[in-house]
Amino acid sequence: MENNHVLVIGGGISGIASALELANGGLSVYLIEKEATVGGYVASFCCKATDVCSNCSVCVVPQRIKEAVTHPQISLLTNSTVQKVSGEVGNFRVEITQKPQYIDAERCIACGLCAEVCPNEPKAIHLPSFEAVPYSYVLDETCCLHFKGEDCNLCRDRCPTNAIDFKRKSKSQELSVTTIIVATGFEVFDAREIGSLGYSRYPNVLTGLDLEEIFNREGTLKLASNGKEPQNIAFIQCVGSRNEEHCYCSQVCCKYAMRFARLIKYQNPSAEVTIFYIDLQTAGKGFAEFYKECKESIRFIPGVPVEVLEAHSGELEVKFENILEGKVNRETFDLVVLSVGIVPRKDSWDSARILGINLGDEGFFDAKPFDFNETNVEGIFLAGTCQGPKDIPDSIAHGMAAAKRAMEVLARCK
Amino acid sequence: MQVRIGIFICNCGKSLNNIDFPKVKERVEKFQDVVYVDLSPTLCLKEGREGMLSAIRERDVNRVVIAACSPELKENVFGKALEEAGLNYNFLSMANIREQCSWAHEGDVTEKALELVRMAANKARFLQPVEKKDISVNKEILVVGGGFSGMKSALELSGLGLRTTLVERESALGGKLGEFEGFYGIETTPEEMLSSTRKAVEENGDIKVLTSAEITRVEGQAGDFTVRIRTGEKQVSQSFGAIIFATGYVTKILPQDFELKPEVNIISQRKLVDMLQAPERLERRPGTIGFVLDVSDENSRLPILFTLNNALAVKERLGSEVYVFCKSLKVDSEGVEKLYREARERGVVFLKFEEKPRISKEDGRVKVEARDVLLGEEVTLLCDFLVAEEKVLPPEGTEALSSMLNIRTDSRGFYQDENVHLYPVASERKGIFFVAGCKGDLDFTRTSTDISSAAMSIYKLLSPEKAIVEVEKVKVEPEKCRACLTCVRVCPHGAIQMVRVDTEKEVAKIYDHACDGCGICAAICPAKAIRFEGYADEQILAEVEAIGESL
Repeated sequence: MENNHVLVIGGGISGIASALELANGGLSVYLIEKEATVGGYVASFCCKATDVCSNCSVCVVPQRIKEAVTHPQISLLTNSTVQKVSGEVGNFRVEITQKPQYIDAERCIACGLCAEVCPNEPKAIHLPSFEAVPYSYVLDETCCLHFKGEDCNLCRDRCPTNAIDFKRKSKSQELSVTTIIVATGFEVFDAREIGSLGYSRYPNVLTGLDLEEIFNREGTLKLASNGKEPQNIAFIQCVGSRNEEHCYCSQVCCKYAMRFARLIKYQNPSAEVTIFYIDLQTAGKGFAEFYKECKESIRFIPGVPVEVLEAHSGELEVKFENILEGKVNRETFDLVVLSVGIVPRKDSWDSARILGINLGDEGFFDAKPFDFNETNVEGIFLAGTCQGPKDIPDSIAHGMAAAKRAMEVLARCK
Repeated sequence: MQVRIGIFICNCGKSLNNIDFPKVKERVEKFQDVVYVDLSPTLCLKEGREGMLSAIRERDVNRVVIAACSPELKENVFGKALEEAGLNYNFLSMANIREQCSWAHEGDVTEKALELVRMAANKARFLQPVEKKDISVNKEILVVGGGFSGMKSALELSGLGLRTTLVERESALGGKLGEFEGFYGIETTPEEMLSSTRKAVEENGDIKVLTSAEITRVEGQAGDFTVRIRTGEKQVSQSFGAIIFATGYVTKILPQDFELKPEVNIISQRKLVDMLQAPERLERRPGTIGFVLDVSDENSRLPILFTLNNALAVKERLGSEVYVFCKSLKVDSEGVEKLYREARERGVVFLKFEEKPRISKEDGRVKVEARDVLLGEEVTLLCDFLVAEEKVLPPEGTEALSSMLNIRTDSRGFYQDENVHLYPVASERKGIFFVAGCKGDLDFTRTSTDISSAAMSIYKLLSPEKAIVEVEKVKVEPEKCRACLTCVRVCPHGAIQMVRVDTEKEVAKIYDHACDGCGICAAICPAKAIRFEGYADEQILAEVEAIGESL
């Protein structure tokens, strides 16, 4: 077969793992990412090591991202979405639309001069993060004065490499590929849906994802209300997992909560940390030992709280059923972290329609029993959390497994 | 060859205002062996690189120093440019004057920038070329363990066009999948899954099966392992490119957890499955069956998989009352939460304890006493059979095999070190992979992905175009080697072996394909006989000497 192209939809860690395996196995890969940068959620996660590594696996990601974007066999298309898929295994035709690339990522040297001159606050042109890949500034049309009709060309004129061009249009192209790997990822449960837990109402109620981003950015944790280190922290597990609507375990929350708890305790030994849980997921390499260590300094309380209120003092009052004593308790904390789970993407219905693949009961893409990569369409494979909750190593493994399926199709066609 | 250094400085679109670039240029021109210095605003872009290329050619530059942004961002771009100019890609030395200099400080940092460039230039004088070459690899793969995972691994490799030898210690293929009675809600039985897989293996021309066979020795490195296999009295040596271990696990009821007396009806999951498969042999239908979990093992997802499937089967076929005593349900595998809910709906009662339940005998039945944390009460249960928790343990021979392979095990004695960079299936030694149960835990999704990702890793490792290695990036200087074996002992990748150079002397040799470039051997060698290109002593010292030279 002459065509040896594979399409990978989604530039998160699973998609990257798939793309790398295929490219290193000799195939050509189109890697499509809807956002301006690749890496997905994991790119905003933090290292959770104390004086020792806590095996959170976040560090294995950047190296893979870098390898993927510089790989000669991988064509990366950012800001791009799949519009239409036709054809069949061996010869899929895929219509891709790419949003206008006002800043040419190839030419941007990330010198930052554009942001210096941007008159808008917040800046309409910015670097998504210091770990952004591609390492290029991006332009936010919604707040850019130029796109509001004003005669502002400051950034374009200041750019030393002429990377900025406001006239660029969105582009459409048709790709011809043999197989498709779907690695569209997940969404984090929106904690506002459980109003009684006070997320977005009280500044000191955060989610696990907030914590990831704060530690990634600041390296330490300060209270939003007064800028001080929190002294009394509660983690509430299973927020948005293991309920009627989401009848599954998100597989990541117990682990990240315990790792954060230990990290907070390490940075501030006088802090008190409590974890409210239903069942602790301690399986996995070395994790039961890690849990044993945690138990020495962290309080674990079975049963998850139903309500978080702000007391007059500004502290948070957590109402929970103290199962051990058989009564309703109230305790105050200065920070409450909601361990939010993994939920299917809201747009997965659209993706399923475009690709012609099935959704399962929980809203994740449906895989065949005992073959967790195969869909109902031959030649379209699933990778990572779009198929169901997974942690980082499992997502990478699942991405590799999807690549293997695609490779096998090509081996068979030869 | 005379060293001719070209220094290319980039001011990043004139954005680095706290460095006086003309001054830097003027000063670096006076450095030793420097034949050319250029200042560019955009060295990483095409136009900048083109200027660099022509300068390298015209001035006959043979070492390139680039003072620009972080090597993390652009080193590969510049490395490629060097190759384009006909230079070895290792003749590049970078000074990070953006992230680690201009951006890191307020105020004028010209002196620091100069120092960084001087360090890079000093190092450049000692750079050696690193060659790449294709190496030939053996494409036959060894799979150890003829259970479901081992058979599946061989089949998956065959799907990619790779041939395998499947070695099983027992007299027949099979393993432990058959210990499952069934999977709730799935029609295919474990027996059917096993027999169809076994049939596929037997009919597959790419797979050679050796039963009643064991491996006794593994030598060599990725792409070329020599393995001695013993079948009965016979021993043969064979070459393989890679090895997958799918040696599985064993389960055992620990006597310290449950007093095992024959008259007491404390049974294993296996025994329960036997009962479920032949209920007519039971004297009478058991009225109550209890399960106890989480007494000795909180590390494995396997017990809950057995328990839920078997509890549901008990409900369906025997109609007994079922109670499960546990600490924390391990529901973090696909579909298990649903299974748990199903079990509860069908009347299976889950009781959670913190303190280990007390187990005794009463009137020929098993008495379980525990404090249920949800009820906050003492619970006493009399059951006809108590299915005891079985600890998941590495199979016999794991320790011997791991020391033979020079591979670390985890804290529970299973294969694979607790190192995130190896997850999910790799080991410290290239070309050796571990899948499924032998790593200490398994469920269906993880087993399936393990097998496929190992197969993919092997395909990648052994596909011909890609077996390119850097030659002698780390090398032993034979005349300095005292054959003390320190490097052989410390190498975590099994990349160093002793080779005989003449009748008198053996010296250490580093196998490029197995080497991971970690540098431990170079650091530890007491005779300083190992050179790690890029971090060689004279290179590091040259850099150190450059610090503070201007003071």
